[in-house]
Amino acid sequence: MLFHTWPFLVFFIAVYTIYLALKKTRYWLHWLLVASYFFYGWWNPLYLLLIVYSTLLDYVAVARMDGSRHRKLWLLVSIVNNLFLLGFFKYAGFVTENINALLARTGVDWHLSSPSVLLPVGISFYTFQSMSYTIDFYRGDIPRERNFVRFAAFVSLFPQLVAGPIERARELLPQLNVFPRIRREDFTDGLSLFVVGLFKKVALADYLAAYVEPIYATPDRFGAPALLLATFAFAWQIYFDFSGYTDMARGVARMMGFRLMVNFNNPYLATSLGDFWSRWHISLSTWFRDYVYLPLGGSRRGAWLTYRNLFLTMVISGLWHGAAWTFVIWGALHAVATMATRQAERSYWYHHRVPAFVKQTLVFGFVCFAWIFFRSSNLGDAVLIITRIFSAGWSDPRFPLLALLLVSSVWAYQFVIESPARRYVESNIFRIVIVVLMIVYLCIIPGSRNEPFLYFQF
Amino acid sequence: MTRQNTTPPDVHAESPAAPDPPFGSNAIRLNSRQWTTVALLTVVILLALPRLWMMLEPLADGPDYRLPYSQSEDYWQYARLVARAKSEREIAVIGDSVIWGEYVTPRQTLTHYLNEQEASARFVNLGLNGAHPLALHGLVSSHATALQDEPVLVHCNLLWMSSPERDLRIEKELPLNHARLVSQFVPSLRCYKAPLAERMGIVVDRNLAVRGWAQHLRIAFFDGLDIPSWTLEHPYENPLAQIELAAAPSDAKLRHAQIPWFDQGIGVQDTAWIDLETSLQWQALRRTIDLLQARGNRVFVVVGPLNEHMLTPASRQRHLVLREGVESWLRGRNIPHASPPLLPSDEYADSSHPLGAGYERLAQALRDKHEFGQWLEND
Repeated sequence: MLFHTWPFLVFFIAVYTIYLALKKTRYWLHWLLVASYFFYGWWNPLYLLLIVYSTLLDYVAVARMDGSRHRKLWLLVSIVNNLFLLGFFKYAGFVTENINALLARTGVDWHLSSPSVLLPVGISFYTFQSMSYTIDFYRGDIPRERNFVRFAAFVSLFPQLVAGPIERARELLPQLNVFPRIRREDFTDGLSLFVVGLFKKVALADYLAAYVEPIYATPDRFGAPALLLATFAFAWQIYFDFSGYTDMARGVARMMGFRLMVNFNNPYLATSLGDFWSRWHISLSTWFRDYVYLPLGGSRRGAWLTYRNLFLTMVISGLWHGAAWTFVIWGALHAVATMATRQAERSYWYHHRVPAFVKQTLVFGFVCFAWIFFRSSNLGDAVLIITRIFSAGWSDPRFPLLALLLVSSVWAYQFVIESPARRYVESNIFRIVIVVLMIVYLCIIPGSRNEPFLYFQF
Repeated sequence: MTRQNTTPPDVHAESPAAPDPPFGSNAIRLNSRQWTTVALLTVVILLALPRLWMMLEPLADGPDYRLPYSQSEDYWQYARLVARAKSEREIAVIGDSVIWGEYVTPRQTLTHYLNEQEASARFVNLGLNGAHPLALHGLVSSHATALQDEPVLVHCNLLWMSSPERDLRIEKELPLNHARLVSQFVPSLRCYKAPLAERMGIVVDRNLAVRGWAQHLRIAFFDGLDIPSWTLEHPYENPLAQIELAAAPSDAKLRHAQIPWFDQGIGVQDTAWIDLETSLQWQALRRTIDLLQARGNRVFVVVGPLNEHMLTPASRQRHLVLREGVESWLRGRNIPHASPPLLPSDEYADSSHPLGAGYERLAQALRDKHEFGQWLEND
């Protein structure tokens, strides 16, 4: 069930009405869980078995950890189980494929059969969310949650279940203790977030996708300008798609009285790669910081080990996005560039003399370059695209001026919102006019493609 | 390890408002008063736009006007034609491509010859290409509401009941004509397998004039594409420059050569026909007639005439049984109707579409029917 489709609207109205009606009973939490499982089972009811299993195991692991001498063992059980689920469903094909390639290269006449399992939607998100609970409990950062229904609702809360934000137990679980106070502002804020997210997805992301898809499907048929513009368009497509989803998720949650974390903060205005990662998919980058980078030692043991830790974290983060070498390279590229900009920022000249606009352009240019690996179907295509960008001649890219106008408007808006001129775009009239225009545009202009969200595949 | 949260929470208590995290810098935040303003402005704009557009884009005039073939799915424009028929007290002639005139020019259609015989412009061609009875029901129920209390001539093309495929009763998914007009939920069509989200979208579109108008813009000015898709085809053109506020001319061009069926290489066929009582298309036509009557329309039904020359003797016999069943139902409901006699073989272009001479003969046959004359006099 996608946020930008009619079935979701009907689902949400029904769920919300009953949710409010159950406000003064103890059953609102049960209802939330039922609604979340229904939402998840809509894709494939079999997926429910997996999420229930994962939830149950982490609940039991923490229960056994509580006051036990074998705390580490139960933590390991939880982590191994979550990583196994993720590994089996997401990486089994990738691993088998690479083993077979290796065997073939060494002349061994034998190969593993590829497992044909469907990737359960959202598994990368809810396993990470659930795992953060067991790790935080092990570290003594949070108390044990004794109520299974509450814990299950935390793992499966439907607005953020399939594509985040990946919430931490210490932030979300307390919000599930009692029926949240839903103020009028919660509803209007939620609506604001939802409409902006809907516009990003339907009017912008899906539009850009229609330009990007044919070019990335057959890059050999396109010249340098089209490949460059498709990469530029993909950078914005994935931003609008994913941040649009997050806005809608936060909006829906907010209307229900829950506050989910900000996941995107104008990432294409970043002045360094470190800055980029503090603005892009914030819930994931902070997850990796807290559960991978810091446990590896963080930046406490000198420059060499800091860079090693950074590199490992980024590569794992790349692999989290997908089981392919393109994602590994994408992560590694970001790691190298993060180190480079980190080092550059230490020089007086770069830090003080290079204008922010130049840094933003450099970072955006690099991020776009790395997206080539992220978006390409395989490594061969990525290399082909880069080669053709530098070698293929001029041909008409046929990039729609309307798309350019829309993207430029958003980009300009983001520049303004982070500048002293922001007061001009924060006036009541400006905001009202923008929202009216967005809604009218959504009602009249786009087609009804109902494209799924990009991040569902991760 | 400290053990906290061991006592069950008081479910009746409300949690203290959690501290607000940052809102998200590029989200636009409105309060309730601003949202009320937005809602009012949006509703006014969305209601006003289609109405204003009607003033700006004229409808083509002329007694033989029919919706251009390329605009067959422009139901908003169709509703405008219906509203004009109502305002000019014309007799709406509804049906599929037999009424629209698949093989003929606008001046060779049934409505043209009926008007010619009447020496008036009372009959208006509201035929819709490809509108099988299941679609016709959707068309009448959602886009012809303005016809209330007016006389309506309905054409019943029995061809839609000639096979399970045409009757849309098979399990296998079929490409439907006018899928946006057929029932999306109840009664359900087994051969129509659109996803739930699409069906719900269609129901919403049917009930919001602005969505119909948006579809009109796509069909009339953007080659049937939504504007983003159109800009992908025409990346450097200004979409607004595409809009010409002139009346779309009627389809004057012939879609097919005007040659009889036997010269097109079509042979005699042993059409199976289906049981009338279980026919989905027949049930839909019945519902359409019921709906029109419930709206105060005086209905006259023309049944056929189908090209029986194209049928084997056994198939012709089965067709006659089916036609008799239709007539019997109409008689039982006291609905004025006519089953014009079979036209000469060379006046058919295929199994159901007459050629120009056939339409002229058909109009004459109707004029000769006492029941038809009576129905006209009552108008």
